[in-house]
Amino acid sequence: MLSMDKNMLPRAYVNKFTQSQYNAPPLSGPLVVRTFTRHFGKSPEQIYDRFDIRSTHAASIGQVHRAELNGRQLAVKIQYPGVGDSISSDLRLVKPFAFRLLGMSEKELNVYMQEVEERLLEETDYELEVRRSQEFSQACSHLDHVVFPKYYPELSGPRVITMGWLEGLHLKEFLQTNPSQEVRDRLGQALWDFYNFQQHELRAVHADPHPGNFLITPEGNLGVIDFGCIKELPDEFYRPFFSLILSDVLQDREKTLRAFRELEMILPQDSPAEIEFYYQAYREMIGLFARPYATSEFDFSNASFFEELYGYGERISKMPEFKQARGVKHFIYVNRTNFGLYTILHDLKAKVRTDRYRPAAALNNGSTSPVQ
Amino acid sequence: MATATQIQKGYIDYVLSNGEAPKSVYVFAKRLKIAEEEFYLHFGSFSSIEKAFWADAVSTVVQAIRQQEVWPSFSAREKVLSFFYGFTEFLLKNRSFAVYTMKAYRQGLSAPAVLEDAKPAFEAFAESVIVEGLETGELADRRFFTKRYKDALWVQFCFITRFWINDTSAAFSKTDEAIEKGITVTFDLFQHSPLDNLLDYGKFLSRNGRFV
Repeated sequence: MLSMDKNMLPRAYVNKFTQSQYNAPPLSGPLVVRTFTRHFGKSPEQIYDRFDIRSTHAASIGQVHRAELNGRQLAVKIQYPGVGDSISSDLRLVKPFAFRLLGMSEKELNVYMQEVEERLLEETDYELEVRRSQEFSQACSHLDHVVFPKYYPELSGPRVITMGWLEGLHLKEFLQTNPSQEVRDRLGQALWDFYNFQQHELRAVHADPHPGNFLITPEGNLGVIDFGCIKELPDEFYRPFFSLILSDVLQDREKTLRAFRELEMILPQDSPAEIEFYYQAYREMIGLFARPYATSEFDFSNASFFEELYGYGERISKMPEFKQARGVKHFIYVNRTNFGLYTILHDLKAKVRTDRYRPAAALNNGSTSPVQ
Repeated sequence: MATATQIQKGYIDYVLSNGEAPKSVYVFAKRLKIAEEEFYLHFGSFSSIEKAFWADAVSTVVQAIRQQEVWPSFSAREKVLSFFYGFTEFLLKNRSFAVYTMKAYRQGLSAPAVLEDAKPAFEAFAESVIVEGLETGELADRRFFTKRYKDALWVQFCFITRFWINDTSAAFSKTDEAIEKGITVTFDLFQHSPLDNLLDYGKFLSRNGRFV
């Protein structure tokens, strides 16, 4: 299941889903006002010193307005009405499209669908998002060169989030300014630290490394602006998966097979030939995926690594053996997160130290020792 | 002396507590401890209380939304949207009573009789907004049709009210959507659109059919 092919599932889903929301015309001024009076009993002009009734841009399931309070610049995110209710029905509409795209049967994909639906539903819960944003920005506050907007729970509600306005450029715009290698490396390191600290220390990760969710501030820091999608990594997934990547388990066929079985990449009913096939295929994939971890430093501008990665994805997407459900559901978002991270680092052409925030003890279940 | 508001309040309370209208004005007046003729000073019947309830709601909301700071900057479309959001918000306080008065009229397309008095109040508001919209050029001035714009808005009024009465979604967010989408479509039709060009072309063809 670790295939990049299925890694497309959430993306295809989310794209189709957000497309239907983006196509919605922007909220009218009166509906914006109404959203506020409904929740706060006050209009935006009574809450903020200044509130721009026209939105500055669309967010995935809402729109963003600029506001000011006590001299502080704020970004106010407002959700389109009815988004939450329409997720299930919208996803049903997208389903056949996803099946065609992946060439799988409905039954096999249902487990993954549910996972995606759960995440999307969480994304519509703005109160949850504010809570998580505060928790995560607090937990990650010690990371170098990573900054977060301040969140204002008292000015947030089920359909409104108020946060500080982060000034900065999106990745694409930033790259056009021709930044120096030093700045690229610094940002790449910030990204790497941010993700690996979350995965290994918090065991829950910002699972939407979409370039739009980051801003490069004028000071050259990485601003993280959206905690709508969080994937928690339960121990029964975390341990076998990262033991494959961060220790020498992969050198040992028996231990590797055990991990693959735990992760349902190899199933109990598989024949010896099938076991051999999937063992080889997944071993190659994990080996690729783990490569940045194999050394203490990795250069993500390395084109040949990405060619290999995409080439592998291309290859297995054509194999009928991978047109079936394999692997626990957690792979969907963990893959999306890490491949997303690699892709952004590649765009940045950053060289990063990959030995930071590596878990050691947690993975070491007595028989294996982490690679140094 | 009882005021109209007191009588209306007493009536709403009676209906909501008993689930039905009082058997007679006599019974109701006795309960309110007023003389029957005092009732007739303000209302001719129970149904006129219900009609006044809806008419009052419309005029209260129109007054309230005009107080908003942003009001002058709103387009005609936004003014109408603002009305409907304000209206459904305002009715929330008396939703049970509103539902009660509409119960008998849930079916059918014609406007419920209980909205009879609300209609002129709403139309006066709609008319003023439409005139403004025509002046600023936001709305298209069309022969015959311009006069019907307020009727289209009245149809929306009845539709949205009925939708809200039957809405069971949390916080009535479905009604919000119905308002947003419905008024957008209605105003799209009021604006200059390909439709005008199509009509113009049709007119041209019908006059010059002999060349075809």
